[in-house]
Amino acid sequence: MTLWRRIGARVSGLRVRLVLAFALLGVTTTVAVASGSYFQARTVILQQAQDAAVMSLTEQLTKIYPIAQLPPTQDDLELLAQRLSDRESFAVVVYRDLRAQGGSEAADPLTPELRQKVRDGRIAWQRVSLAGEPALLIGTQLALDRPDGTSRPSGVEVYSVRNLVPEQQSIDRLATRAWLTGGLSLVLAVLLALLSARGVLRPVRDLGRAARRLGEGDLTTRLRVRGADELADVARTFNDTAGTLERQVGELRRLESDARRFVADVSHELRTPLAAMTAVTDVLDEEAEHLPGDAGRAARLVSQETQNLTHLVNDLIEISRFDSGTARLALDDVDVAAAVTATLRIRGWLDRVRTELPPGVVARLDPRRLDVIVANLVGNAFRHGAEPVSVRLGADPDWVTVEVADRGPGLDPEVLPHVFDRLYKADTARTRSEGSGLGLAISWENARLHRHGERRGSLVAGNGAHGGAVFTLRLPRDTADTGGAR
Amino acid sequence: MTGRRTGRALLAGGLLLTLLTAGCGVRPSAVIIGRPPISGRAQGTWLYLLAQGELVLVLRPAPTDPSPAAALALLAAGPQENERDQGFTSDVPAGLGPVTVTEGTGQSGDLTVRTDAAAHVLSAHAVDQIICTAVAAAAQVSAANTATTVTVVGPDGARGPRACPMR
Repeated sequence: MTLWRRIGARVSGLRVRLVLAFALLGVTTTVAVASGSYFQARTVILQQAQDAAVMSLTEQLTKIYPIAQLPPTQDDLELLAQRLSDRESFAVVVYRDLRAQGGSEAADPLTPELRQKVRDGRIAWQRVSLAGEPALLIGTQLALDRPDGTSRPSGVEVYSVRNLVPEQQSIDRLATRAWLTGGLSLVLAVLLALLSARGVLRPVRDLGRAARRLGEGDLTTRLRVRGADELADVARTFNDTAGTLERQVGELRRLESDARRFVADVSHELRTPLAAMTAVTDVLDEEAEHLPGDAGRAARLVSQETQNLTHLVNDLIEISRFDSGTARLALDDVDVAAAVTATLRIRGWLDRVRTELPPGVVARLDPRRLDVIVANLVGNAFRHGAEPVSVRLGADPDWVTVEVADRGPGLDPEVLPHVFDRLYKADTARTRSEGSGLGLAISWENARLHRHGERRGSLVAGNGAHGGAVFTLRLPRDTADTGGAR
Repeated sequence: MTGRRTGRALLAGGLLLTLLTAGCGVRPSAVIIGRPPISGRAQGTWLYLLAQGELVLVLRPAPTDPSPAAALALLAAGPQENERDQGFTSDVPAGLGPVTVTEGTGQSGDLTVRTDAAAHVLSAHAVDQIICTAVAAAAQVSAANTATTVTVVGPDGARGPRACPMR
């Protein structure tokens, strides 16, 4: 199917069309010229042959005179026919009912219309086909001079039958030559067409290639402008467009990286005062129990919000590491089931989560990041979904899969595409939540950081067959350390 | 658009095909007519006999006497054997001669043939034979031509004057 389409595209392509047009032009011109000259040459050859034959017959006939006896005897006619026959032609002599044919045993070649014209008193000739071969019939009466200068037909009709095979052969040679010329000119036309198609198509091909490269993201692509024709104009326009695009995209990238660096800088700047504040809130926490009423509540609130702020700033710093490409994997051969169990135990969730963790699945990955991902997914399941929450581990030779499912209401289809967006709040009414809003984004980045060749870790959100959200983490089993490449 | 293109392609193809098949080699032709036939001298006496009811020219070799009277005498003698074999006849009676041929004074040299035979019993063919033979013979010796008229005069009257019907 694709092959056919490609062949179709090739056939209707510019090159083929050019070649066809050239070939058609060449053939038409050649046919016109060659056939014109062929027909003219044929006419000339035949006319010359005919004139020469008529001339030669007339010359021979003048030697017959004077005529001494009429009517001639059969012997006279035979003699005359013999005298007029030679290698190239034979003669037929007719007088009333008498008929003599010299040199050939062929059947009567004379046509009635020729005999009629001859009897009417003219020299006449006609080309006919005798036994498949072309022949020329020439006929005349012998006339007698009268003393007053007029002449009177004697009734003796002389016909000469001349073979035209030599003429046919030279005409055939002409035809062969015409065909040959036509063929050569066709070849020449095709060659010229290919040459000119190359000239036209190369810039077009270059343009196509450059456009594809540009589309693939190489904004530095430029074309070499050759000549001053329309194609050069197109190339120039392409270069201008690519230049503008590169500038604008560069500007956007610069703005974006500025914004990210700003966030990263701000986060870093916030760390020091936060550390001080945390120290203060620790003291406050201890004192809060002794503080009466509102003061105690305020102290606890400040302590809580300070903790949240610390989380947020840490998450922001983490995210900015991903953005700047400085995030590094600390790879280790990890027993995944043990690692997941440890994550759950540390957070005290082991009793609340149904686990399905076949032992012995060892994968090469970053255990800290796996911990972050699993903790985030399970924490989300408790926070937004409903129990029971289950964690299932699967493995095949290439991949490790961790599936975290809950039995809550599941994810709204409208929310689904934005689940991994930064600071995205599914419930707009609930503007404040315990999370920073960056957890899933960080998990997603962590999953993608694991890669091996073409295989790249992924985190996918969906809904289970029995309701409830299902997050599936898939990591390559033998991640290679490729640094922070995004 | 496509239809028009197809039409144009068909037209071009047809033209090409017509040119290609318009004939290679030597084709039969219609009859081509040239100049009048060649003509040459005739040696002998011109007589007009009949064949299948038509006047036919006959040449008798080597005349000793080229006069019209001598030619008419040969005519009265009838066809020779070889001529009879080919179906030549004569309506001129053997009793025609002797005749005298006199040339008129007119510009075309009109002739008068006097005979002892009855002129009115001669058939139309016989009269034509006499006239044409007389004119042809006279042409050898005088200025007679195809326009020359001949009057055949017998004891019972005259036939003509007429010109030879065979030009």
